Parts: sequence; structure tokens; C-alpha cells
Amino acid sequence: MKRLTGSGVLLIVVPLLVALFGPLLVPDDLTRGAPFMPEGPLGTDFVGRDVWHQVLLGGRTVVLVALLATVCAYVVGVPWGVLAATARPLDEVLMRPLDLLLAIPSLLVLILLATIAGPGIVALVGIVTLINFPDVARISRAAALEIAGRPAVEAMRMQGETWWRIAIGYIGRSMLRTLAADLGVRLTGALYLVASASFLGVGVPPDAADWAVMVDRNRVGLFLQPWAVVVPAVLIVALSIGLNLTFDRALRKETR
Amino acid sequence: MISYAARRLALGVGQVLAVVTVVFLLVQALPGDAAVALAGDDPDPARIELIRAAMGLDQPPLRRFGDWLWGLLHLDFGVSLVSGRPVADFLATGLAPTALLAALTLVLLVPLSILVGVAAALREGSPLDRALTSVSVGLHSIPEFALAVVLIAVFGVGLGWVPPTAVGGLTPAVLVLPLLVLLARPICSISRLVRAGMIEALSSDYVRHARRLGIDVRRIRFAHALPNALAPAVQQVARTTDWLLGGVIVVEAVFVIPGLGTVLVDAVASRDLPVVQGLAVVFAVTTVAVNLLADLAAFRLAPRSR
Repeated sequence: MKRLTGSGVLLIVVPLLVALFGPLLVPDDLTRGAPFMPEGPLGTDFVGRDVWHQVLLGGRTVVLVALLATVCAYVVGVPWGVLAATARPLDEVLMRPLDLLLAIPSLLVLILLATIAGPGIVALVGIVTLINFPDVARISRAAALEIAGRPAVEAMRMQGETWWRIAIGYIGRSMLRTLAADLGVRLTGALYLVASASFLGVGVPPDAADWAVMVDRNRVGLFLQPWAVVVPAVLIVALSIGLNLTFDRALRKETR
Repeated sequence: MISYAARRLALGVGQVLAVVTVVFLLVQALPGDAAVALAGDDPDPARIELIRAAMGLDQPPLRRFGDWLWGLLHLDFGVSLVSGRPVADFLATGLAPTALLAALTLVLLVPLSILVGVAAALREGSPLDRALTSVSVGLHSIPEFALAVVLIAVFGVGLGWVPPTAVGGLTPAVLVLPLLVLLARPICSISRLVRAGMIEALSSDYVRHARRLGIDVRRIRFAHALPNALAPAVQQVARTTDWLLGGVIVVEAVFVIPGLGTVLVDAVASRDLPVVQGLAVVFAVTTVAVNLLADLAAFRLAPRSR
């Protein structure tokens, strides 16, 4: 099992390094050749660009959008959940609409909203946040409800502490463990949405240097030049599996 | 049971109404005017007005919403902006492949997940259990398209065992890879729930009591423990329709299957709003309906959960 952890970390590190530092290794003057030719280390893509350069460039958007969207989901979702749990009259008002959002398939919400918002990283981050934050709010609410029932909170209330001190100083801090446990699922979920949307051509320009877009655009040349499809796809798969294994491992060590 | 079913049904109807309203509002928020889009490249103001009147776009929004709702009740989803064909036509042609994919996935999903989950639970801590757990953890929420193209490259192009896409028609051999991709995510999550439920049930008091009574082990496992272990799994099956519908959209795009997902992606690409709107309603209503059925089934399997 120890070996598995190692491979989990390795599976994350390789795609992350490529995504974050890859763009620095790409020369400024990109020449274009004929499409789907075996020139260069990984050949050329559907418009004759060098696949290796595209791989180096294409991870940044996927990883950044997934990370940003996850952070935003917590920034919106945690206060939402804590507010619902501590200010009881607001509970129904805050949580009911979220049930509705959870009733629509998330990829469908993504496609609909992205059609309205048009392409752009900011829009994509916003939409993935919107899809992810109801789950965060639910988990935060459940955790905060449990903590708010503790004698310590009752004592603080009787001492006349302000809502802010109780909600943020005590409840917020006590929730950190639960939220940390949730982080892995949230991150892979965001990665899934961002990559799938880009693959479907939603929210990104059609010739963007993006692993998911590369997979989509170069599919027609799968027989001629499989690397243009397989390399970005494998990087996405590796990142997803690696995140899952690592977070699961960390979680089990924590609970033991 | 009946009062629970009635309450759950009311909630479902409420969800459907709310979803339909949201879809309508979202499409209203879209930039651009449908009549201008229909009028073509050289829009003549008089012609645009004519189309607007014909489509009812000059009516107040509330009136249009009412008309649209009334149409939905009669399965009238409006007319495509691009081809002028009724949206219901698109739904009818795309339905068969999508329904086939979804039905086959569900039919395979339930027994396979139970098999994997129970096999792992009965040998808790064994190498088999640990291997199954690692695989199911690793594959959680892996993007379908990435898994799909890797499988296509290996089995379709590299080894040539199965056709890489469905361009040549929907034969059984074509369906192998799409089904594998669609099953990967839900099997992992459901088999883990079955495993956890089974382990919990097997260590419960009633199972210990049944053992002491000398009841056959197989009977205890499969007639007593398993149904209790299944209730949470059944609800998870419903949650996975969310993924399944998303997965179907992606898988159809990858394997070039002419189903509802492909219709949706094409409609989005050409900004054919009535088609997008109609499909959104169909997908959303399906999700709500499946969740409703699953909650009722779970209630039946383990009434104490409510």
C-alpha cells in the first residue's frame, strides 16, 4: 500500500509540473508545419502545431480553473452553510434553492450557463463554482450544526459572545477538519467539470492550447498521429487518479 | 408508505416546475433575438417583425412562459431556429441510442456493483478487497472523455479489437467501450457503498442472532444482510443518473453516437435555443423522476431510514 501512495503522488506531480512550468519551456516563435505529421518529439496537431509545445502550454488553464473554482466554492459555500446553521430563521431560505440546483445534472447546468455567458476563464470559474458550492454549503451546514450544539458554544452564548466570535472563531475553526476531508472530492470534481466542458467546446475558444481541447480537436487524426490525443488524455487521467489516491490516503492516515 | 410517496411526489412536481421555470428564465437571459437569427443574413425589419409575431415573441414574457408550459404539457417543445423542424422530432430521433446506452448501463451497473461490493465485503482486508478499493478510489470522478480516448487508442486503434467509433452503425461490438466508460464511475461509488453497508450489516446484532439460531450462512448473507446493505446504494444509483446523463453527453460525443447528447452539443454549438431548452427540460425531468423512484425504492427496502 505504501508503494501505491508513492505512485499517487507521482501521478499528480508529473501533470502538475508540466501544467505549471511547461509554458516557460516553450519558445516564443512557434512554427507551423503540415497537420498530423511525425515531426518533433510528438508530431504535429490538426493545424500543424507542435504537439509537445501544445502539451506544455495546455495544462495551465485546466489546472488553474479547477483550483480557482474549488477555492471560490469554499469561499461562497462555507459562510453560506455556517449562516444557515447558526442563524436558524435563514436556514430554509438559504438551503431550499440549493436542493433545486442539485436536482439538475451538473454537466447540463454547465452547458446551459456557458452558452449564456460565452467563452472565458472567468465565466468558467464562476459556473464551476456555482455547481460545486451547494455541496460545500451542505457539508458546512451539517458540520456547523453539530458543532453549534456543543456545550462550548452554549457557554459562549451565555457569556454574551458576539455571533461573529462564535461563528468564525469557534465553529469555523472546528470545521476545518471536515472541510479538509472534503477537499479531495471537490478538487477532482472541479477538474472533471472543467475538463469535460472544455472537451465539449464549452467555455473555451476552439483552438485553445488546452489538454481537453487538444483531445477533442485531434481526435480526427487518431489513426495518423495518436500522440496528439493520447498524451493530453493520459495527463488528465493521471492527474485525476493521482488526486484521488493521494487525498484518500491522507484522509485514512488522518482518521486512523 | 402512501403518505411518504405522496409527499415525495409533491416535492418532485415542485422540483420539475422550478427547473422548467429556471430553464425558461436562463434562455430569456441569452443575448440575441431569435427572430433576428431566423431572419437570416440580410434581415429586413418588416420580416423580423413578422417572425416575431409568428413566434409570439412580441407577447409579454409571462404570457410566453404560460404558452411554453402549456406546450410542454402537450409534448410541444417549439421549433428549431436552425432547421425549422419541431424540437420534438430531434428528441424522438435522438432518444433511441441514448435510451439504449442508459438502459444497458443501468442493467449492468446494479448486478456488477453488488457483485464487486459483496465480494470485497466478504473478504474484508484481503488483497482482493484492497485491490478493488484502490481501483474504485482511483477512478472516482475521472473525466469520461479522457478515459474513453485512451481506451479507443489502445483497443480500437492499437489492438483493433473493437471499432473505434459508432460511425459504421450501432453494433454490439461498438457498444463495448462506451458502456465500459459509462460504468467506470458509478460502479466505483456504488460498490463501495454496498461494501460498507454489507460489512456493517454482517456485524450487526440481527445477523449475529441469526447465526446463533443456526440459519444457513448464505441465507443470512443474501436474504437478511444484503437488502439492508442495499438501501443507501439504491439512492446512490439515483445520484449517479446525474453523472450518467453527463456521461452520456460526453460518451456520445467521443464515440459519434447520434443520441440526445450529440443533439444537445450540436444545438449548443449552433445556438439553437429551443432545442437546448427542450433537451434541458427532458434531462432535468428524467433526473427528478429517477431520484423520486429511487427514494421510494430505498424506502421500501429499509423503511426505518425515514
